[in-house]
Amino acid sequence: MSGGVVLAEVWWEQLLHGILSWEFLEFVVVFVSIFGFVMTSAVILILAERKVMAWMQDRYGPLHTGPWGLLQTVADVGKLLLKEDIHAGKIDKAVFILAPSVFLAPVIASFAVLPFSPYISLPGAPLATGIVYLIAMSSLDVVGVIMAGWGSNNKYALIGGLRSAAQMISYELPLVLSLVSIVMLTSILRDNGLGTIAIKDIMNFQMAQSWPGKGNPVWDFIFEGFTPWAWFILVQPLLVLIYYTCGLAETNRSPFDLPEAESELVAGYLTEYSGMRWALFFLGEYGNMTIVSAITAMLFLGGWSGPGVAFLTAPGMAIGWQVLGNLLALFYFILKIYLLCGVFIWVRTTLPRLRADQLMQFAWLILIPTTLVNIVLTGALYLLLNALGVSNVVFLVVLGVVNWLMLFGFFWVVSRATTASTRRAVAPAIRTRQRLAALAPSPAAPRLPEPERAGVTGAGASSGR
Amino acid sequence: MATNQGVNRPPLEGVAPGELRSEEMILNMGPQHPSTHGVLRLVLTLEGETVVDCTPVIGYLHRGIEKILENRTVMAGIRYMDNADYLSPMLNETAYVGAVEQLMGIEPPRRAQYIRLITNELQRIASHLVAIGTYLLDLGAFTPILWTFRDREGILSLFEALGGSRFNVNYMRVGGVLHDFPKGWLQQCEAWCNQFEKNLQELETLITGNEIFEARTQGVGYVDPQQAIAYGLTGPMLRASGVNWDLRVNRPYMAYREIKVNPQVRQEGDCYARYRVRMQEMAESLRLVRVAMDQLPGGPISTRTPIALRPPRGETYFAIESSKGELGIYFISDGSEYPWRAKIRGPSFVNLQILPELLRGHKMSDVVAILGSLDIVLGEVDR
Repeated sequence: MSGGVVLAEVWWEQLLHGILSWEFLEFVVVFVSIFGFVMTSAVILILAERKVMAWMQDRYGPLHTGPWGLLQTVADVGKLLLKEDIHAGKIDKAVFILAPSVFLAPVIASFAVLPFSPYISLPGAPLATGIVYLIAMSSLDVVGVIMAGWGSNNKYALIGGLRSAAQMISYELPLVLSLVSIVMLTSILRDNGLGTIAIKDIMNFQMAQSWPGKGNPVWDFIFEGFTPWAWFILVQPLLVLIYYTCGLAETNRSPFDLPEAESELVAGYLTEYSGMRWALFFLGEYGNMTIVSAITAMLFLGGWSGPGVAFLTAPGMAIGWQVLGNLLALFYFILKIYLLCGVFIWVRTTLPRLRADQLMQFAWLILIPTTLVNIVLTGALYLLLNALGVSNVVFLVVLGVVNWLMLFGFFWVVSRATTASTRRAVAPAIRTRQRLAALAPSPAAPRLPEPERAGVTGAGASSGR
Repeated sequence: MATNQGVNRPPLEGVAPGELRSEEMILNMGPQHPSTHGVLRLVLTLEGETVVDCTPVIGYLHRGIEKILENRTVMAGIRYMDNADYLSPMLNETAYVGAVEQLMGIEPPRRAQYIRLITNELQRIASHLVAIGTYLLDLGAFTPILWTFRDREGILSLFEALGGSRFNVNYMRVGGVLHDFPKGWLQQCEAWCNQFEKNLQELETLITGNEIFEARTQGVGYVDPQQAIAYGLTGPMLRASGVNWDLRVNRPYMAYREIKVNPQVRQEGDCYARYRVRMQEMAESLRLVRVAMDQLPGGPISTRTPIALRPPRGETYFAIESSKGELGIYFISDGSEYPWRAKIRGPSFVNLQILPELLRGHKMSDVVAILGSLDIVLGEVDR
């Protein structure tokens, strides 16, 4: 047992060294600021959503709390914190109480691997398997939703939770598959043929090495590390669309907000929640929105790249310029995130909601085949062009053209498919009606209230427990 | 289970008798629910997400309007008609005073008839705006309701200028209307019409042709013409099923004898057709308002009627085309100041009867899609 004694003697020393170390301090500062970013981001997004929606809907939005209603969400958070924690009767208490945390934790954990600027990031950011980690975290969310649905002892909540489970699992697949092509692209673009699934590396692939006027300081300042013509959105626009659509479904945003469809399920799995527990769900949802937008910005829109970032953070620059460059990067990155979140809001104000079966059809019959075709096409195209011996640039241009064509083909397929799925979806109803018509003595005769039907009314009324 | 006994439902698809089957869930939708348009309660029997049976439970908004009417003089009863279908008070009042006039044999002056037409058509637009706005809200689109309520606001302001009240206007009188148009009202109305024409186009651009909206509504809640007639459906519900029946055309009353209405009919019979009929009717109503304002005759706005109005002994039935269908008043008078009976034939109540028939076999999400397309007002269902 002597080894144990030695360990027992030094553990506190190790802990002390660990806590007093520079790295740990750095970790704490970055963690607190990123955690703060998640929290404030949700608050800002809620306010932005209300204001932008108000603008699109020809009304004012929050107006009276603080200047231009800017403090409205702050007041809301205060209210939610002070609210009584209400439990419905006969809930599964442990599950009910744990669900918000289970929902929120993966969202916050997702931020661990997001690099915010060349230097600002959590220690997890260099993770070589960043994308896999992010996908794993976003899949975990569904557990919290099911727990909330089950624990609430409410039928609406249960239906909402089950819908959400089906939806999140279905849309996880096209989401992952749409990222596979990006990973394939990185392996093609790199000389040794080894791709990457680290987020920062994928971002670096979108920074071209040459730009107009290279050597001129002004042009260098603008274009070093900022080459929008090399962003993956131009090569794979269809994937951006699919990834973003799946992101909408993953975050339960309109038009995929079935789990909390307020017109059908009251508030879905959130029905029984109030106060801070409800706020945690809300926080998780908006955090999810930020995550999806951040990943889209990273993988398709060049991440934090913008005029001046790479120039100012180049190795030779003075520390002041380095700090400025990092702040600029942070600014560009957050700007891109919020612009993408703006698209979320825009979509929400425009579109009605899909039906549950149409939602599933859209994922399984349209999105997954499209992404699979895209993967095969990307590989085949590369093999073909590689055999012809053309350069990577030509390959990217050809791939881009093909993908843009696929994008318009995708729109055509979707518009055709909605019509077809409508016909399929109503088929059972029509068959039921035909059977009923066959049962009835004469289709034109009005159906008189039968004694059994009166019995149903009584039984139904008594079943209002 | 006791609750499942005697349920008159069709055999489920693909399930042979005696085969193992999962248990159904009974879900109470309402009376407190965001999209039952008031306090309707639907007892849904669900098999998964498929509706097996539905029992509407009504009566949560019963205020005894018909009984109240019996205890008020005829003139005092007009105000209570506002609350029956609270989205179209002008139309309710017109039906009530129309019944009394028919019993008394009064013909209101032409100007009064035109004023009634203008207000009725504006009210129809207002009611359809609410119907479409809330319908799209049921389907998950958040913006249309705010746009439609913005336009409806203009109509309510016009009514406020007329009757002093935005909502329960109390504007119709037996033998005419309460006031003539105030100064500048017609210009205001014209300005509103011009604005609304643009807004309607904008609304159409936002909703019609949206793939998700079409997927949610096309082929959903199909009513065939025979079924529609058998259930006594009226209004947009009937016309969306391809039956050309509009009381303004088929049994014209008041100024509709002079101004011709183009009835809006569609053949599809589904939720989408009902939505389209309402949109087209709004455009048609807008045209009617403009025509009536152009042809507005001069003269008195009311005949001279005694304050203590005593309709002669007898009974009558008078029906108008309300925003939701045939709104009829069955009026029985015993010769006193008070109506002996004033039965309201509310179109919402009649149109609601077909709901269980429509819901069977559809998904749970379609419940709100179908219910919203019926455009019921619980104030009129329960009265």
